[in-house]
Amino acid sequence: MLEKLEKIREEGFRRIAESTDPAMLEAVRKELTGKKSSLQEVLKSLGGLDPDMRRSVGMKANDVKNLFAEKIQTRQEELIAGASAVEGEIDLTLPGIEVSGGALHPITQMCYDLNDAFRSLGFEIYSEDDISSEKYAFDNLNFAADHPARASMDTYWLEGTEDKRGSDRLCLRPHLTGGSVRYLLEHGAPARFVYPGRVYRNETTDARHERAFFQYEALIVDKDISFSSGRVMIEAILEKVFGRKVNVRMREGFFPFTEPGYEIDMECLLCGGKGCKACNHAGWIEVMPGGVIHPNVLRAANLDPDVWTGFYTNIGLDRMVMMRYGVDDVRLFHSADLRFLRQFR
Amino acid sequence: MNISMKFISRYVDLPSDLTYDQIAYDLTMRTVEVEEVIDTAAKFHDIVVGEIKEVNAHPNADALKVCIVDVGEDDLKQIVCGGSNLTAGHKVCVAKPGSEVVWHGEGEPVKLKETKLRGVSSYGMICGSTEVYLADIYPPQDEREIVDFTDLGVECEVGQCVAAAAGLDDVILEIDNKSLSNRPDLWGHYGVARELAAIYKVPFNELDSKLPEGLPEYPVVIEEPERCNRFTATKIDNVYVKESPAWMKTLITNAGMRPINALVDITNFVLLAVGAPQHAYDSTHVEGEEIIVRLAEDGEKLLLLDEKDLELTHDHLVICDAKKPLNLAGIKGGKDDSVLDTTNSVILECAVFTAPGIRRTTAYFNEKTDSALRYEKGIDTQRADLGVAMALSLFKEIYPDCVFSAFTDNYPVKTENEVIDITQEFLDTRLGEAIDRSEIEDILTRLGYKVEFSDGTYHCTVPTWRSTGDVSIHDDILGDIARLIGYEYFKKQPLPVKFEESIHQVEMDLARRLREYLAFRCCMNEIFTYPWIDEKYINAAGVDFEKSVRLATPPAPELGYLRASLIPGMLETIEKNHRYFDEFSVFEAAQVFEKGEYSPSSEDEVLPVHKNMLSGAFAGKDAKTLFFKAKGVIESMPGYCHFKPFTFKQKMKPSWADEKVWLNIVEEGKIIGSLGLVSVQALTDSGIKLISAAAFEMDTAMLEPYPSRTNEFKHLPQYPLVEQDLSLLVDESVEWADISEAIKYMVKDLKFVEEYRGKQIPAGKKSIMLSLKIGNDDSTMTSKQIEKKMNGIIKVLGKKCGAQLR
Repeated sequence: MLEKLEKIREEGFRRIAESTDPAMLEAVRKELTGKKSSLQEVLKSLGGLDPDMRRSVGMKANDVKNLFAEKIQTRQEELIAGASAVEGEIDLTLPGIEVSGGALHPITQMCYDLNDAFRSLGFEIYSEDDISSEKYAFDNLNFAADHPARASMDTYWLEGTEDKRGSDRLCLRPHLTGGSVRYLLEHGAPARFVYPGRVYRNETTDARHERAFFQYEALIVDKDISFSSGRVMIEAILEKVFGRKVNVRMREGFFPFTEPGYEIDMECLLCGGKGCKACNHAGWIEVMPGGVIHPNVLRAANLDPDVWTGFYTNIGLDRMVMMRYGVDDVRLFHSADLRFLRQFR
Repeated sequence: MNISMKFISRYVDLPSDLTYDQIAYDLTMRTVEVEEVIDTAAKFHDIVVGEIKEVNAHPNADALKVCIVDVGEDDLKQIVCGGSNLTAGHKVCVAKPGSEVVWHGEGEPVKLKETKLRGVSSYGMICGSTEVYLADIYPPQDEREIVDFTDLGVECEVGQCVAAAAGLDDVILEIDNKSLSNRPDLWGHYGVARELAAIYKVPFNELDSKLPEGLPEYPVVIEEPERCNRFTATKIDNVYVKESPAWMKTLITNAGMRPINALVDITNFVLLAVGAPQHAYDSTHVEGEEIIVRLAEDGEKLLLLDEKDLELTHDHLVICDAKKPLNLAGIKGGKDDSVLDTTNSVILECAVFTAPGIRRTTAYFNEKTDSALRYEKGIDTQRADLGVAMALSLFKEIYPDCVFSAFTDNYPVKTENEVIDITQEFLDTRLGEAIDRSEIEDILTRLGYKVEFSDGTYHCTVPTWRSTGDVSIHDDILGDIARLIGYEYFKKQPLPVKFEESIHQVEMDLARRLREYLAFRCCMNEIFTYPWIDEKYINAAGVDFEKSVRLATPPAPELGYLRASLIPGMLETIEKNHRYFDEFSVFEAAQVFEKGEYSPSSEDEVLPVHKNMLSGAFAGKDAKTLFFKAKGVIESMPGYCHFKPFTFKQKMKPSWADEKVWLNIVEEGKIIGSLGLVSVQALTDSGIKLISAAAFEMDTAMLEPYPSRTNEFKHLPQYPLVEQDLSLLVDESVEWADISEAIKYMVKDLKFVEEYRGKQIPAGKKSIMLSLKIGNDDSTMTSKQIEKKMNGIIKVLGKKCGAQLR
């Protein structure tokens, strides 16, 4: 009998050790200690044994039972510790389940990045309407009466107003600058604000020219500020766009609504200013115009140019996005082509 | 514009250690943008002066000669040549192997190699002028003529580069014309030289501006002094058409024009030098011995030098004799009466026409001439003095026997010097640092200002060449000072900061939240479309054309209407994308326009009505799913974007929507937008096949943003809630809203699970599955309580909605 128990024990241990998952172990537990197990049979047969034998077999049988319970417990812990939730083989190089996601337009992304930067500098965000008038788009901004930009070859005038003048001649705004006077008329000075938006020019389109494109303009108006304060705005823009400090230089430039006006160049990021094909070997790339607000523009905004001064800068968002991502055709921005838009997350 | 550094050196001596790149850089920083620095000698590499030592017959060809030539190297070279004027002892032009020449003056340059000609080896080539870019300077007399420097009287040395021998070893600064538009004084080398002299603080060689004296008058009548401020006429006799001297031809060539003949070249040279346009008339063609500056008669004709036959109008200024127009004033000469081959006496015009008229006429006839380019920038009347003085001295030099037989200076309007005061205080504040008075006076004086200083103020007399609009206020003078010091030398100054209040722009914030919600949470792609929209899609969407605003000159005939809705753009976007994607969703936020009255800034300005619209579209296979997707996006929008919620109602079907499946978005009884399936008609008309679409459009200005986030905290349930599912059988006419309304007050939470119609469901009925949660506020529900509650709910559903349990 004792030998039989020993065999049961040995066989049981083997079975427990061979169990490879919790379910299998549970089956083994039932088999070894359940009502129909060989061990139970031994225990049931105790009554027919002589008392001595009964005691030693009984003790042994109980020992085996306890040992089984112990072994099963240990084995169970082992199995949980080494368990996997997945049965069988798994190819971990398979791609993960795609995150479904839409996206803002890359121009909007750039615009919001810049808004964040300018908000942190205390600038308000303003938005002018798309349709403006000659008065706000040109007259207020010190454009000469016969400036070529006023011609219908350059500006989209509205039908029925094209031969009128001033506030009666309406157009899709050709630039954002007209919005500056609107804001100043409404809010007065001092002021610091940005006004991003889409502008329209009657142009022949190609990979580098568009009829509708986006600008981002910033203006600060205050007393007694120097034009060199304007550099803070310029550097804020470029640092936000390119993620690091970018060297800039201001040089002579001319725009009707500024005096003095500047062209602002940034160091070519490809060659670090040494000169390469991208920057036409100059080391610098023209990125934005800027300048001190012209006294006539301040007057149009009912501000006294002897008291107030200010600094504009205007950046072409399309061009910045193109530089940021290497986009080579400006027309893609208005294409609504998802093969293009889904690249920007 | 091309600036020749040789030309510049006539007026200023620049420091010898300056590189041309440095000059280009400094000009770009201080004055005008230099786009390129071009070495004109570069294309003449390995083309040198050689001396012919021997001219021998070619053994195999009568037309060829075998020359022995000294090209300045250790040994003499043998060159085979077919030139008609090969002379031993003469200096000629030799292209060595490796140089690039234009074969017979035609086509692209070809790289030269040592070769054999009819069996005789030849080192390089003795060239004709057309083969080595010299035809403008040394026009060939016959096809086989080679350039003979000895005959031409050119002083040169054996081995010297031909560019240097011909005076073509120049450096050209190519200047961006746009950056010159406000500087009429820089449209000539003299003006650029003045800037360079100011930048480098070196002396500037001022030109003589003396006019002829004591000559008889030549009659000149100016009928339009507003358009013609000054007209000088000099009659010059005893001249004839001939080639200009080489030095003049090379300078004209280097500056980008072509030499023609000495009479014309003199006028062009003066234009390039001082920017004073001139014109020479054949004086024998001036009928009536009188010049009249007048407006053309409507329909009057003029044949220009470029063969263009103009029909003039009364807005065009012309220079006429007693009978006919001779010249389109300030723009281009007439063909019949300008310098001709037979000309032996000229009337030289040096006049000043005002900019607006020139601009109008130039644009009208599309005649962008060198002369017009200068006049349209606004030229000071004093410039004619320089122009006349320079031209007459050139005539004397080139035609020593010429006679100035008459001169008139009709000068109705004189450019007045601007006089501007600028204070030291203004300069210090705006420049952000104090600049020495001596420095300021030095800069301004070098630029031609006359400056007097008293009581902290500079009294500046602006030179006339800057007084035609360029410099008119003290800010302009500030700009001159700042740029000549150099913007790069001013220290960056921080922006002053005032912490008075934080920026709180709820409308702006809402606009951004809406876009971010749709992009990030609803997984839609933002798109931009043009504001002008193809009529095809406007028609497809059924948008009313009557209300729409039109462009006067649209990008294309079918793109005349500005959008009154974003839906047509959505249709176009679906049409464009559905060949690449089975399922997608897009949105656009933009302004749309409608006839109406709207004055955002001042009452005098009345614009069409603008609406800030937000639109979205969902394209895919199953129409019903698409609709509920769209509805879900709109339903959750107020919560996630934090604005006052709206409701849905069928009030007015949008033109683009399906017959049945549409809803208006309603805020306080007002329709602020719509959503729905796009009608099959609209899809078909847009060319969209095999795909369905749902869309929405709403006016975001009608939304009322909350000033902050609006999440509300509710206590977590203290006792567990019981979740129960019910499957109901109801009539088709029973809507979810009825069911929800009936039992909403009895449950903690109620969710729609699904709707089912099928075999097991009788006709006219549908099955609705819902899931609800019930619970007590003060204890855990017992099974008895649960049973009682559920029975109550089922009873209410039966009573109010006729629902039976399935």
